[in-house]
Amino acid sequence: MTRVALRGIRAHLVRFLLSLLAVTLGVAFVAGTLSLRTMMGSTFSGIVASSMQADVYVRGSEPAASAAQAGSSAGDVREAIPADLARTLNTVDGVRHALPAVSGPIVLVGADGTAVVSSQAPTFGMALHPDDDTLDIVAGRSPVGAGEIALESATLESSGLTVGDETSVVLAGEVQAVSVVGEVSLGAPMAGATIVFLDVATSNAAYAPEGLVASVDVYGDTGVDEQILVERVGAALAAADAAGVETVTGTAMRTEATADINDMLGFVQTFMLVFAGISLFVGAFIISNTFAMSVQQRMREFALLRAVGASPGQVFASILIQAAVVGLVGSALGIAAGLGLVSLVRMAVAQIGMNLSGSIPLDPATVVISLLVGTLVSIAAAALPARRAALTPPVEAMREAGGARSRSLRLRSIVGSVLTVAGLAGLVAAWSRPDPDGPALLGLGAAGVVVGVLVLAPVIARYSLSAMAAVFVVAVKPLGRLARGNVIRNPRRTANTAGALMIGMALVGAASVLAASATVSTRAIVDDGWIADFSVQSAAGVVPTGVVADLRALDTVDSVDELRYGPAMLAPAAGGTVAERSIIVVALPPAALGHTLDFDAVEGTLAGFAAGQLAVQRSVADDRGWTVGDDVTFTTAAGEASAPIGAIVDTAVIGAPIIMPDDAFERIVPSSQIAIDSLLITSAASATPAEVRDDLTGAAAPYVVLSVLDKEEFAGQLAGQVDQILGILYAMLALSIIIAILGIVNTLALSVIERTREIGLMRAVGLGRMQLAGIITIESILTALFGTVLGMAVGVGIASLMPAVFTGIGLTELAIPWGQLASMLGVAALVGVLAALWPAIHAARLPVLQAVSAD
Amino acid sequence: MTAHTLTSNHPARSLTAPPASVIAYARGLVKTYGTGETEVRALDGIDVDFARGELTAIMGPSGSGKSSLMHCMAGLDTVTAGTVIVDDMNVGRMSQRQLTALRRTRLGFIFQSFNLIPTLTAAENITLPLDIARRPVDRAHFAAIVAAVGLEDRLHHRPSELSGGQQQRVACARALVARPAVVFADEPTGNLDSKSAGDLLRFLRGSVDDLGQTVVMVTHDARAAAYAHRVLFLADGRLVQELTDPTQASVLDVMRSMGDETETEHEHDGARR
Repeated sequence: MTRVALRGIRAHLVRFLLSLLAVTLGVAFVAGTLSLRTMMGSTFSGIVASSMQADVYVRGSEPAASAAQAGSSAGDVREAIPADLARTLNTVDGVRHALPAVSGPIVLVGADGTAVVSSQAPTFGMALHPDDDTLDIVAGRSPVGAGEIALESATLESSGLTVGDETSVVLAGEVQAVSVVGEVSLGAPMAGATIVFLDVATSNAAYAPEGLVASVDVYGDTGVDEQILVERVGAALAAADAAGVETVTGTAMRTEATADINDMLGFVQTFMLVFAGISLFVGAFIISNTFAMSVQQRMREFALLRAVGASPGQVFASILIQAAVVGLVGSALGIAAGLGLVSLVRMAVAQIGMNLSGSIPLDPATVVISLLVGTLVSIAAAALPARRAALTPPVEAMREAGGARSRSLRLRSIVGSVLTVAGLAGLVAAWSRPDPDGPALLGLGAAGVVVGVLVLAPVIARYSLSAMAAVFVVAVKPLGRLARGNVIRNPRRTANTAGALMIGMALVGAASVLAASATVSTRAIVDDGWIADFSVQSAAGVVPTGVVADLRALDTVDSVDELRYGPAMLAPAAGGTVAERSIIVVALPPAALGHTLDFDAVEGTLAGFAAGQLAVQRSVADDRGWTVGDDVTFTTAAGEASAPIGAIVDTAVIGAPIIMPDDAFERIVPSSQIAIDSLLITSAASATPAEVRDDLTGAAAPYVVLSVLDKEEFAGQLAGQVDQILGILYAMLALSIIIAILGIVNTLALSVIERTREIGLMRAVGLGRMQLAGIITIESILTALFGTVLGMAVGVGIASLMPAVFTGIGLTELAIPWGQLASMLGVAALVGVLAALWPAIHAARLPVLQAVSAD
Repeated sequence: MTAHTLTSNHPARSLTAPPASVIAYARGLVKTYGTGETEVRALDGIDVDFARGELTAIMGPSGSGKSSLMHCMAGLDTVTAGTVIVDDMNVGRMSQRQLTALRRTRLGFIFQSFNLIPTLTAAENITLPLDIARRPVDRAHFAAIVAAVGLEDRLHHRPSELSGGQQQRVACARALVARPAVVFADEPTGNLDSKSAGDLLRFLRGSVDDLGQTVVMVTHDARAAAYAHRVLFLADGRLVQELTDPTQASVLDVMRSMGDETETEHEHDGARR
């Protein structure tokens, strides 16, 4: 039987080619995702290994509020510890040297006069200890004094600077002229991080003005065991009466850091695997269709096999063997394609300055998983058709013109309706009750509707295709009618074929509605609440403090309001873990209310804001059970501090959960953790907008990373972020559309083979080649349109409910981009035409006589 | 190339113009399949006339070339050598596009089985050639033909809801609806029981007698051939005999005599198609 199965593949190579391609694409995504993950993992492990070489780390004992501080490691941020501890530790037996880890944000100006930034990686400055032997000065020397810096090798390259150049940095909020005196290697690619080395005194002044650092790194003498060193360091700390510190071995620290990174990469991986899943799902459709049709065509062959003594099990197995071969070969090709994909990705990220480790890894796990996934999906997809082949009695298959007996759609109708209705109920519930369960209900409801509609698709196809075909029936006589007959004749197949496109288009539809709504919402938020004339923002995330005074000094500027943020820690009485108690708070000068920013209280009043009352976002208040008049208590370095809630607000102008006046903020947030998010500026009455802008731009220029935005630009910038995310999404979805095209090609090609006699007959009674091609093209377009319309209806429908559910996070308006949706229909029609090309040409070339007398 | 095919390539020299009563004819018609050692000569230089307004049957043992003759006459297959003229048009010299147009305007077809498009109703199947050609349907003519084949109450049924005999009658109606110059029927009763076959043949003969239609029918059934005005007998790609106003008995006689003559040749003949 195996031989029969293998010969079968060879004899019908073209038929299996599309299945093969489908598996290849799906597996390419799986393999690509996995090996990209491995590659990124090994790059970051390399960074961990080369940048965390100490034998023992001394750090704060309890995680503090997590700060979105540039330069912080991927792990949690703990209470800072005194840098002085290093001096104590240096005296411990077996310690070669103990170095306080001093690092923080910095802006480096490159050779072209702009800030050196790579889009995703951090920029930070750190102290270059003269006795730190983990760093290798490959050129020049260590920086001495505030006027000198050294650069990490990759940073030096991407900045375009060379050792000896003069440039400037923005450090501790001030612009400083510096010269590059050295190049430092960390011994591994740093994934695009921009690293500036400073002399110890300079970095201490900038990053540890109060003598507090994140950790002290202890390096042991050669031959001293980590574990022994930890004990000695611990003992020394206890002797020195150092409270709130803990010691960990270098190995433990590195493991922790690696685990953190893996968590983060895991999220990226999940996202990408979702797309791999979609493409495999779609691929399974194609495989299943291919086998279903090839089984139907080869009924007589199976009957013959049965007649000469093959058991149903053997027939079943022979089809599964074919599927397994298709799956294996497709997966193998897919792995190769996946590696190609990864090298493309690597080239792309190298373009934006992110170096990933040299070799593309192909670990056994990736190979095994990819092969298994591809093969199992193929076998599973072929199982149903194989069962049908095995169960058909030989006599029936031997009969003339077997043809597909269409199975009842009743079970499908029932199951699909139940799922769809349940999903709709979930959606309505989510829509009517925008409480914390809303998003979960929405997700479940959406899943129910999507799966339900997929199951119902053949039923829907039967009725809706006639309506959709009406245009063609009237416009292109008699081709439209013939095409309509063909797509309706087997609604199950048409629906399955369109299924791939449906899923892709549902995602595209939902994404474009979300994007349009987000853009409109953003604009509405800015229009409503953003009444400043200009805003100054930083590409580095934090606005240098020095620029504030510079701007206030301008004649054309009336006022400059600082919008600051920082981490705060709720008192333990609030309950929950440390992570649950940490919260980001934003500070506003009370004068800014109604002057540069405008939002209203939904409960209580903002009148007490200036007097130290807090404004809390409604979603947060609901979450934590706070009401107007409650006191919120925070843990601070100086003990507990509390403030009353004056107002519950519901605004998206400020994204933070708690908004407080400046003085309360300064009591609650440690000064080292305060950062300026942006500056809000009003113009002097006498100045024209152009003058103000010129002045602002001029004053901000030395800080390099600052940009001046008016209201329009501010809204545009926010919308631009949405577009960027969408761009990635669209690129991924393009893949599902490509696979969808393959699916349609596949179905059309096989249905042309099935209908050979019919085609021959029509040609014999005078159907021209172009007319025949026209029929097939119309069928293809109808199938594509059906999938697109159904998918977009589902996607747009679900997305339309989102503003109601996600008002709290700033999605306030619903906008449906009709133009964009219409162009998607255009794309669908184009997809239809493209997909029809090959099958139509194939059909038109069939010799009439052979076609008429074909089996 | 033999001298024979040379002359066939220049039909004007060998042609004697047929009388006006002939609607289709072939001169020196040769059809070969394959090349070299596997070459098979299906038609070996045939001269034949088909009279206007007659039902002509083509008979012969399997492999005699009767289907090839019909396919070449109808422009369904290419001609190796010789001339085929149908309704004053040189079928052998036509492009695919011209042949397609010829088939839908001037010719009608009835095949042995699978004659109808399963997705179209009987009425839609009947008017299919006109629809394809985007020509208006002559309602009176349509009604007359439908009445003649007795399908008035089955017009809106799909092929799967019709019996085999009804399906063949729909095919006949389709072949006739465009008033073609010639209807070619390839074993039209091959899959029918004798009652349905009789009905169909009576109708075909009626279309000739009453409507002046020309029909060329390939068959191996002596009973079917007996409905024809004239029967042509083929063997080994040649025209070997001809009967006018045949009866079932006279057809059988000829077949029997042919069987005797060609018995020895049948052995290699059977392997042919």
